[in-house]
Amino acid sequence: MTAPAWLLIIGAVVTCGGIVVSAVPQSMRTGLAMQALGVALIGAAGGMVVVGDGSVGSQFSNGFGPTVGVDPLSGFFVASIALVSTPALIYARGYLSESHHAPAIAVTTGVFVLALVGVVVARDAVTFLIMWELMSVAPAVAILLVSRSPETCRAVLIYLGSTHLAGVGVWLSMLTLAHLGVFTDPHSLAAQPMVVQSLLAGAALVGFGTKAGLMPLHSWLPRAHPAAPSHVSAVMSGMMIKVALYGLVRMLFEWLAPLPAWVAPVLLGVAALSCVAGVLYALMQHELKRLLAFHSVENVGIISLGLAAALLAASAGQRQLAALAFAAAMLHTLNHALFKSLLFLCAGSFQKQVGKLDLDRLGGLLRTMPLTGASFLAGSMAIAGVPPFNGFASEWLTLQALVQLALHGNPTGTALGALGAAALAATAALAVFCFVKVVGLVLLGPHRQKAVASSHEVPPSMTGPVVVLAALCLAIGVAPGVVLGQMGHLSPFGALPASAVGITLAVPGSGVFAPVALAAFVVLCTAVLQLARRRAGTTAPSPMWICGQVPDSRLAWTSAGFTKSLLLVLTVVLRPRRTVSVELDGVLVHSVVHESDVPHLFDELLFRPVLGRVLAASRLLRRTQSGSLRAYLTYLLVTLVLVLVVVRVGVG
Amino acid sequence: MRGNVLAIAVQLSGLVLAPLLPGVIQTIKARLQGRVGTSPLQPYRDLRRLWGKRSVAPYDSTYVYRLAPSLSAAALACAVLVVPIGASTIGWLGSDMLVPIGLLALARFSTAAAAWDPGGGFSLMAAGRDLMFSVFAEPLLLLAFVLVAIGSHSTDLVQMVAAAGDPHVATLPAHWCAALAFGLVVLVETGRQPIDNPDTHLELTMVHEGPLLEYAGRDLAMLQWTAAARHWLMLVLAVTFFVPMPAPVPWNLLTLALGVAGLCALVALVETSLAKMRILRVPVLLGAGVAICMIGLASWIAQGAL
Repeated sequence: MTAPAWLLIIGAVVTCGGIVVSAVPQSMRTGLAMQALGVALIGAAGGMVVVGDGSVGSQFSNGFGPTVGVDPLSGFFVASIALVSTPALIYARGYLSESHHAPAIAVTTGVFVLALVGVVVARDAVTFLIMWELMSVAPAVAILLVSRSPETCRAVLIYLGSTHLAGVGVWLSMLTLAHLGVFTDPHSLAAQPMVVQSLLAGAALVGFGTKAGLMPLHSWLPRAHPAAPSHVSAVMSGMMIKVALYGLVRMLFEWLAPLPAWVAPVLLGVAALSCVAGVLYALMQHELKRLLAFHSVENVGIISLGLAAALLAASAGQRQLAALAFAAAMLHTLNHALFKSLLFLCAGSFQKQVGKLDLDRLGGLLRTMPLTGASFLAGSMAIAGVPPFNGFASEWLTLQALVQLALHGNPTGTALGALGAAALAATAALAVFCFVKVVGLVLLGPHRQKAVASSHEVPPSMTGPVVVLAALCLAIGVAPGVVLGQMGHLSPFGALPASAVGITLAVPGSGVFAPVALAAFVVLCTAVLQLARRRAGTTAPSPMWICGQVPDSRLAWTSAGFTKSLLLVLTVVLRPRRTVSVELDGVLVHSVVHESDVPHLFDELLFRPVLGRVLAASRLLRRTQSGSLRAYLTYLLVTLVLVLVVVRVGVG
Repeated sequence: MRGNVLAIAVQLSGLVLAPLLPGVIQTIKARLQGRVGTSPLQPYRDLRRLWGKRSVAPYDSTYVYRLAPSLSAAALACAVLVVPIGASTIGWLGSDMLVPIGLLALARFSTAAAAWDPGGGFSLMAAGRDLMFSVFAEPLLLLAFVLVAIGSHSTDLVQMVAAAGDPHVATLPAHWCAALAFGLVVLVETGRQPIDNPDTHLELTMVHEGPLLEYAGRDLAMLQWTAAARHWLMLVLAVTFFVPMPAPVPWNLLTLALGVAGLCALVALVETSLAKMRILRVPVLLGAGVAICMIGLASWIAQGAL
């Protein structure tokens, strides 16, 4: 056996040991550390497979026996899972210290992470599906361990319901592929009529798309992610939705060949919708974790834009461009995993110090929690796609893929590429808007409640992981080409051009993007200007300018106020609700209550009617369940007769 | 080697010459309004005066507030050096068209975040408006860039500028659509009327000036230079993309200078003749720009199909 295989086995054993050890309250911290170590070993194995460009263990098989193996694509996802989970597990040591059911949550977290790894290393349909279900159930358990309020239960119900309903698509497509023998021979599908492939592609898009949180199937995501404990949210948002994308990638890029022509444009449309609408709804949120959850929808959209561009380029025969677009999607997968888990972990630290994460009730946390605050700032700049952080690097590559598709493609490619690029540009601008708001309301300005003023920095076990993640975000932002160089062979379209994998990046038909030089120049220039600023003398403290009035904390600018201009412009699309009720005491105004919110239209217009129909149908069905023995005996008789008729007709 | 040194010198001159552009626009505007007005060198005098003063920082402000002016000035300086003047640029900073867009976003992020630090309503109202404009202006800028890139089939700024000198490009409808759209972006990014009034002293109407309210001294000098650099960036790009350049070195620089002066006059004329729009109407104007870009794209697709 090779070194990665040994590492993988040792890692899995250590993680399992950690899970057992963490079940005991006294040794929970040790258990979590063991889990982190085990996952890190598994990740190292994945990284070695990616760098070595070999594969370990079995190939995909059509059988039902449990088989496991790692090829470069799986290795990349395994390494990404470890990059997110190891900091999250170390963070959990501090985070879970005072919470109820801490050992149970620790065990669930370990099982969850192993299930994620299991999905990407499974090499047969049954193992894949078992791990898939385990991956879906584990976070639900973690959520219910934290809270059992009616809202949480509802969120869990919607989460489990939608992932399982959509899971039908996953089961259907995986089992059909195993039946047709596609896992060993990709050409066997070509013999089938085109409608089979269309149905399979549809089932895969719905099944994996729901789990990935692609709009309009994302409804569970902004409910479930905020409800989970923060380190589980970090892994859910960071990697669980990416594991669903892993399934989609396997389907669309390896197994479904030839791919029906409608898939790429539909995926591009869904991706563009997800990124623009996802970030737009994120902007209108007033709770930090819910806002971050909507941003996951946005980023899954950006990744899918890259995947759709790869499919479009491949169908036009531009293999090099397809490889680039695919690499862009994978790089953004890694980047989003890093900065999103960073942001969720920081949110957990804030929550531990302050209580609730209502955006309008925080403020000034950068002063009380300098390390966590600075890491959160770095993560915000990364997710906003601002250079020199990693978000800009992968968005640059994705935009390049779309623009090159527009410049060099056929008419369809031109139109779709330009539209996708425009959508991504709007998304980037909206993300800047959103994270300026978040940074301002959470980190800057005056403290908006007493709990914030008395907050202090969390222990090193909680700051360490976020600082490391922030450093990784910066490192990949400064040297994306180095990471890309190791990821060139993940795509089925051949190697990346040599110009795209160095210190400077350039794709065919683009100019040079020199992240190191840009970062060095901006940092040096800022440092020189800061020195010059100091030389002018000390900075004089002053009150802020509000036309000479006395500052009043009740007049502090809010989340809704900051985004009001955009809301007014997009009233037709967002349909905000606003009620003002005036309570009169005789002729005097006693109080004025103002309420406003931006309803989530996907829920209101799409899911509520569907849910209503489903519930009405199940009420009808309930009438058949009378509880009377005679009725059930009649059902049995009718069924028996029907079966006999079917058998008779079938034989005849 | 000498050509290279000359190119770097020309490129660096942008950092020094940038404040001249708002000065020239102000002078021409004053003349159009029948006033004598200030000298085109007035921005330099303002910068010197501000440079001699201490900075101020509101109570409870953090390093985000103190870093923002330097960071946005650094981002804009970088962008000025990336955008080629006369079809050459400093190679090592990169030359892709998406890089200036990213740097503009960095400057916008830092100034808008800094507006939250003192937490004053005026700055935040203005920062929110600025970001709201950017939501529509950024896709417009990207689409305009894509349409310009059709001429060279490349997103390399140097090649785009070189191809823009080709007379064939001027016959493309897409190029003209790009020019119209780019004109709108110039107005937004430079904060000129009818989008924003740079001369306003009424806080409630501010967009670009709002986040600058709390700053003084060297900080304010950096931010004012940043605004001037944004003028330089946009006007130089507009001229190099849409005015055909003669090839030899002194002549293309001369054309560039004349073109930029002409555009300054045009901006002053627009600013004198048009009143400021309602802020909520601006996205409609920018949406029209996106529609123009779509028409340009459609025309190009149609041309390819014919």
